[in-house]
Amino acid sequence: MDNLMNRTGKNRYRMKVGQNIIILFALALLVFVFFLLNPNFTDRYNLVSMAQSLSPYAILGLGVTFVIATGGIDLSIGTVCIAAAVVAGKMYTSGLLGNNLWLTIPIMIGIGINFGLLNGFLVAYLKLPAFIATLGTMMLSRGLSALIVADPNIFFPGGSWFNRVFSNNNGFPTGILWVIGFAFVCSYFMYKNKIGRYILSIGSNEEATRLSGINTQSYKLIAYAVSGLSAGIAAIFWAAAFPTVAAATGNGMELDAIAGVYIGGTSAAGGVASVSGTVIGAALLVVIRNGLNMILAKFNLNLNSTYVTYVLTGIIVVVAVMMDVIKTGKRSKLRIRKRDDKTGNDIRGNASRPSQKA
Amino acid sequence: MSKVILRMKDIRKEFSGVVALKNAFFELKEGEVHALMGENGAGKSTLIKVLCGIHRPDRGEIEYFGERVEFSDIARSQAAGISVIHQELNMMNHLTVAQNIYIGREPVKNGMIDDSKMIDDARKLFERIGVRIDPTVMLGSLTVGKQQMVEIAKAISRECRLLVLDEPTAALTEPEVEELFKIMNELREKGIGMIYISHRMDEINKISDRVTVMRDGEYVGTVDTDKTTKDEIVRMMVGRMVSSEKKEKSNVSENAETVLEVVDLCAGNEVKNVSFTLKKGEILGFAGLMGAGRTETARALYGADKKESGDIYINGKRAVINSPEDAVRRGICYLSEDRKRYGLLLSKSVSENTVLASLEKFGGNGFLNDREIERVSEEKNRLLRTKTPSMKQTIRNLSGGNQQKVIVARWLIKDSDIFIFDEPTRGIDIGAKGEMYELMESLAAEGKSIIMISSELAEILRLSDRIIVMCEGRITADMDIEDATQEKIMKFATLRNDPEKG
Repeated sequence: MDNLMNRTGKNRYRMKVGQNIIILFALALLVFVFFLLNPNFTDRYNLVSMAQSLSPYAILGLGVTFVIATGGIDLSIGTVCIAAAVVAGKMYTSGLLGNNLWLTIPIMIGIGINFGLLNGFLVAYLKLPAFIATLGTMMLSRGLSALIVADPNIFFPGGSWFNRVFSNNNGFPTGILWVIGFAFVCSYFMYKNKIGRYILSIGSNEEATRLSGINTQSYKLIAYAVSGLSAGIAAIFWAAAFPTVAAATGNGMELDAIAGVYIGGTSAAGGVASVSGTVIGAALLVVIRNGLNMILAKFNLNLNSTYVTYVLTGIIVVVAVMMDVIKTGKRSKLRIRKRDDKTGNDIRGNASRPSQKA
Repeated sequence: MSKVILRMKDIRKEFSGVVALKNAFFELKEGEVHALMGENGAGKSTLIKVLCGIHRPDRGEIEYFGERVEFSDIARSQAAGISVIHQELNMMNHLTVAQNIYIGREPVKNGMIDDSKMIDDARKLFERIGVRIDPTVMLGSLTVGKQQMVEIAKAISRECRLLVLDEPTAALTEPEVEELFKIMNELREKGIGMIYISHRMDEINKISDRVTVMRDGEYVGTVDTDKTTKDEIVRMMVGRMVSSEKKEKSNVSENAETVLEVVDLCAGNEVKNVSFTLKKGEILGFAGLMGAGRTETARALYGADKKESGDIYINGKRAVINSPEDAVRRGICYLSEDRKRYGLLLSKSVSENTVLASLEKFGGNGFLNDREIERVSEEKNRLLRTKTPSMKQTIRNLSGGNQQKVIVARWLIKDSDIFIFDEPTRGIDIGAKGEMYELMESLAAEGKSIIMISSELAEILRLSDRIIVMCEGRITADMDIEDATQEKIMKFATLRNDPEKG
């Protein structure tokens, strides 16, 4: 019996490490294949460009990882990110902030965090289903920002310190440093602070966590606030990487970011989260998009790269989540067996309690 | 005498090694109301499940209208005319009464469901059994009592010859019970045999012809209702099954201080003006039948459910408890009977489960010290003799008793003073039960105060210093262990109306 327990314990550990290794391996394989098909793929210029576009997706993913860890979802991150960028950008270009470009940073973060708090309030306190609540704020943020700004395009000043600090400093991808730093901060809060532990506990069993005397509502609020905050931060990197921000974009950004989270090994059911996996997952998606683009260009294939990207990403997400389901499926089989045992006990110890209880 | 329609003989049923039924016997005559009684866990429900084909008996025979039968599933037993009315109704609230009655066998005309024929049939059916319900209204708009009658009508429409009523009156008001009995009498006239499961003594007296009592999965005896007394039935139910010694006298000293006082606690329909006190080092047993409101009282006290009114005093000071967080901060902890749902993070490790309530003690506000978490979890679990290969083990893989110990460890780390154990030994095997008893006794000896909800009378008598008996949301008795007997507790647990002086 003890031996068996040890074995299952080890297996679990192996699986955890395994998931990261599998995605890293897939990432390396993709890079290699893209390189073979088009050696320009690993061109320094192209690598920097990929790193630049990675930043906003990785940061969105890191934030929403906290929400997914509670067993929830945040669909509003993409549109909130764009809303933050266009509103702050409009305020700057219209001269409202004077010459202080740095003021756009707190504005973007503030807009993000406020939408996050709104989501958290709707889900944790008003008990709306996360999918519906955040679908609502997704539409709300997109519509509101377009109404307020009214310009189809907002221009952040290109080539300024803003780009150098947050995106690209003379060919060095500064954005990637921020992503790594942010991932470390997220790791700390997820694994080394009670906030993350309680968020994971909620995802694992919300009622048991509440009955342990933990204010589950406030921790859920925090998770959504972090997600919103990250959308605000992602806006900074988006504006730095792509200084022309179109108010109508941001559509589907959340889905890319969320797909990266699932690929990274965070469980859609909550309770298990991988911060490093989220970053790797986002990188995988960026590599796919960029690599496919280059191949299609090189071979003059008359295919829309966006749609090809969707096809491949779709397959990867399904495979990644399938791995998760197979893992949990094994678990639930165990659960069913246990329940059978329990039924036996129940009948002996206490005849069919549910049907007798008023 | 009328003829016997059902005879179940020597029925035996085991569930993964646990014997639920052994030598069970039951006999039902035509047009008879036969009450089936026994404590929780006596095997009544299992017997019914064997009858209607949910469980296959390991041994024994069932004779139904003179033929030996064994139904492989409910559909077969229903086709043979056996219908079971559960306390919780299995019907669709958003369909009409008629649609509910004829679901799955709707009359069809020209490829479409013939609603008007269905309504007509339902109306005739209600006339036949003397019930006045409009078949065109939504089922959900009816009272629970009326819904139950619809279900009985549905059974009748299936040419039912044997009707099982499993605690049908639990959710009914007094007039509704009267109406139910009227219908049952009509059915009796028509020769339908009825098995009536209930804990309510006065109802048994009113409606049943005979009573069969079961205990520990075994047949105890069958008596004619009009030739027996309530006390006799209680004695048959309780028997001399006490395997463990009864506690002789309270371990709590006379001058022990009161740590908890609950005054007029009300919550929903299940908790009505509950007042009691708990002393330091005391084990206060909460006895009663299922649905007596004990768990609901505990949950309301703990802030897990809303309460309508009532005051709570801890160490003499008034305490406002609106959430488990408030309760835990004041040193109360609650260990649910359903550990998997309300206690454990099943996919997490033993140590994570152990420290769940007290992360701030391990640097949770700054940097969590995982080594310290592991060390303290190990220390507490060794103290409680939790059997686990390591603190990293996923808690799902531990046995019920060891899972329970991990939850106790959780609250020891939190320094809780008042422990509420809800069915502490449910789902725990016999060996671990004894250990759980010792654990609770040593907690009390250390000055912790314990509220123990248990449906096992032997457990209540073995551990409690004082016993509170609840029935239908009210406290019907508050007795010292010296005065307590199984018979007495059962009497108060089935006391439906105003509490007698006891």
